[in-house]
Parts: sequence; structure tokens; C-alpha cells
Amino acid sequence: MVTPLIKRFSFVERIVHWVVGITFVALLATGLAFAYPSLFWLTMFLGGGPAARVLHPQIGVLFGVGILFMFGLWVRDMFLDRQDRAWLGAIKHYATHDRDNVPPAGKYNAGQKLFFWVQSVLAILFMVTGGLLWFPESFGATWLNTARLLHYASTLGGGLFLIVHVYLGTVAYPGTARSMIEGTVTPAWAKLHHPRWTGDRVDR
Amino acid sequence: MPDTLAIKRISASPSALIPLASLRSGGPVYSKLVDISKCIGCKGCEVACKEWNDLKVEQTTNFGSFQSHKDLSSNTWLLMRFNEVELGDGDDLTWMIKKDACLHCEEPGCLFACPAPGAIVQYQNGIVDFNQDNCIGCQYCVSGCPFDIPRYDKETKTVAKCNMCIDRVEAGLEPACVKTCPTNAIEWGIKEDMLALADKKIDRLRERGYEHAAVYNPGGVGGTHMMYVVPHGDRLEDYRLPAHPTASPGQLRGLNVLQRVGSYLLGFGVISALVHFLAVGPERPEESV
Repeated sequence: MVTPLIKRFSFVERIVHWVVGITFVALLATGLAFAYPSLFWLTMFLGGGPAARVLHPQIGVLFGVGILFMFGLWVRDMFLDRQDRAWLGAIKHYATHDRDNVPPAGKYNAGQKLFFWVQSVLAILFMVTGGLLWFPESFGATWLNTARLLHYASTLGGGLFLIVHVYLGTVAYPGTARSMIEGTVTPAWAKLHHPRWTGDRVDR
Repeated sequence: MPDTLAIKRISASPSALIPLASLRSGGPVYSKLVDISKCIGCKGCEVACKEWNDLKVEQTTNFGSFQSHKDLSSNTWLLMRFNEVELGDGDDLTWMIKKDACLHCEEPGCLFACPAPGAIVQYQNGIVDFNQDNCIGCQYCVSGCPFDIPRYDKETKTVAKCNMCIDRVEAGLEPACVKTCPTNAIEWGIKEDMLALADKKIDRLRERGYEHAAVYNPGGVGGTHMMYVVPHGDRLEDYRLPAHPTASPGQLRGLNVLQRVGSYLLGFGVISALVHFLAVGPERPEESV
């Protein structure tokens, strides 16, 4: 008998996720190039310094649109309930794979929900400060320098989150990445990571 | 005296923080000295600047001032600002003229703010030059400049400003504005000599009753390579000269700290993930359903 699979992310959800993901990586690469002279060579992936300077804010708009869609798609599932708070209290057990002491998570665990909220706040910060830096002639030096400082600070947060997100979604938890590629997960994966979530089964 | 054009700082490179030492001994360090009390407002310097640097001519309009252009632009690198000021209560109207152009700071805020390697170069002789070939058009230099000098060009998508006629200086000549000035209000020479000359000029102005006459060579940017002798040193704002310009405003200093801390934090993030993986390994679901 063939093991049935569980649908986790729809086609639209996956498209939106990868628009945000790919644009963010492109933005991070060019942003790091502008922040660190030793990484300036990263601009060559977008056609050199001047091209990267032109493309960075344009890709930023795409990123902004993507994250706006993402917010609309997922916000309903992202409010923390009582068991999520208990989950956060037991995060040490989660990190050490001590499943017996981890309160069961729903479709998203508390870590994923917080990730969602932090990235939403960072995205707003990115877009407001990025907008200022895109049209520097309209603002004074103090505003621009402050915007630059906040834009870099957001990058630091976003970069750290990306590392954690990619690590947990790939090598740390095998079977997770396929949810964002094929859109499906195995029942065993769902039982381990999201016991309170009962997704729709689909035939292989 | 021919100049060697030895480089001191290059934007977005380690030399932006620690200036390069010159192999050559005792190269000349130049400065312009603009004696505002001697300026007759002829604007000959503006014409010379346009001519020597082959800068495009802009259509100007009469906006009720003797000033030629309203503002500097990417092809107007020098503008004599005819600031109209009433000195006393209802007293005579005075022009507090300012030669508005790059001051060529010893600590250039534009260069510190620039993320493009080699787009801004400072030479040992004091000249700060923009190299448009390396400019990416981000305009960070504009917000880094405490004197509001660099101007963005929408067509070339690069930033431009006075280059102190570096091609003339290299050949042992003075900048074009200096050469043309009919009253020697703009002088050119070794910076120390210019400072000594400024002191003499100030003494003379004080004898004439300008008790607040002063030299403008602000320490917040390490001194400048275009200095002014201002008759009314107590009214810098009327000349549109910032009283306390700084090359490194607080936000940009914060940025430097953030960049350094950030690189460690991101590295720490990657290493933590690796250590975590080696410590507890992957968590595989039991495929038995």
C-alpha cells in the first residue's frame, strides 16, 4: 500500500514564499555588498555596482509585495494560543529533540509564529527606510543617515533569521523542505512536528 | 612644483579608515584661501571653472538676486552665493558672499560614507576627487557631506563636485578659479603658508574694525583644503557656513559599530547552527504510519 501524503502548502503559498525568499537573498547579497567593501564583488551577480544599485530597490518592491501577500495568506494562523506559550517555555527541550517535554504544536509552532511577526515588522522597517534611501534628494542628511542605520540594523535581524530558518527547514528537520517544494509532507512528519494539526490527506 | 598625486584614502577600502602613508617625503599639501573681504562678486571664477572643466552650460533665470545659479549642480561645481544680510538694525544691506564649492576636507565625510570602492579618492596633497567610473549612484556621499556639496546627475546616475582642477594641480598649476580671480581673493599654495597668510589678513581686517574676522578651517572635518577668511566670523550662518561640521555624524559612527558587530553576529549564527547540528543532529520522523 502507498503511504498517503498530507497537503501543507498550496501552489499560491509556495509561489509567494519563493518570491519573498529569492528576492530576500538577492537583496541580502547586494545589501551586504554595499555594507562591506570586502563583499562588494557580490554586486557582480546582478551586473555590477551601478546595476545592483538600480536593481536593489526594485527587487525590494517585489519583496514588499510578496511579503504583503504572505501576511494576508498566513496571518489568521499566526496568533499565539496558550499551548504556544507553553511551547515557548519548553523551547530548550525542542532544541534538544526532547519531544516528550514539548507541548504539541498546531499547524505552526510558536517559533514559526514569532518568526512571522518579527519578519513582518522587519519588512515594514526595511521598506520605510529603504524608501527614504531610494529617493535621497527628498530628505535631509540626518533622515538619510538614520534610515541607513535602521536599514542595516534590520538586515542584521533578517540575516540572522534567514540562517535559522534555512537551517531548521532543511538539514535540522528532514522532510520539512518538501512542504515548500512539492507542497506535501508525510504523516509521520506531521505527527512529529505538528501533532495538533490534521491536514488534508492527498494520494501520492 | 609638479605634484605626485600620491593617494591617501580610497573609499570603501581599508584606507578609508587608516590613511595610506606616502612613500615620498614631504609632498606638498595644498589649500585654497578665499578672502571674502576681497571678493568683488565678478563671478569670473564661475566662468573659469566651467571653461577649464568643460562643464555644460545651464540656462539661468533672474530670480531677484545677483547670484548666477540658484544652486550647485552636477555641472555647476562652483557657485558664488550672494547671501543678502542686514548687518545692524535696519542698517545697510550687505552681501556675505560665499564661494560655494567643495572644501576638500582633511577628513572627508563623503569618502567615509561611500560604499563603492574607488569612487572617491583623497590624495596626499589634500584633494578629494570623485571617480565617476566607480560611482554606483547611491548618493550616500551627499548625506555624508556636512557642506551639502556633491550633486547627483540623473542622466549619468553619478555624483559630481569640484575636483580642485586636479589636472592643473598635477601639472604644477593653480586651479582655474585661482588663476582668473582679478583681486586675488582666491589664493593658492602650501596649506601652512595659506594659514600664515590668513593670520595676516585677519590682523589687517581687525585693524579695519572687523573685530570678529576669522579663518574658517573647521576642526570637525580635520581642517579643509579650501579655507575662508570671513570678516564676520561671528555670523557664520549668514555665510551659510556650518559652525560645527562633522565628518562622522553619530548615525554613521553607529553604522560602523553595527557593521563590525553584525559580521560577528552573522558568523556566530552560522557557526551556532553548525554546532547545534553536530551536537543533536537531525530529527527524523519515524516513517511507520
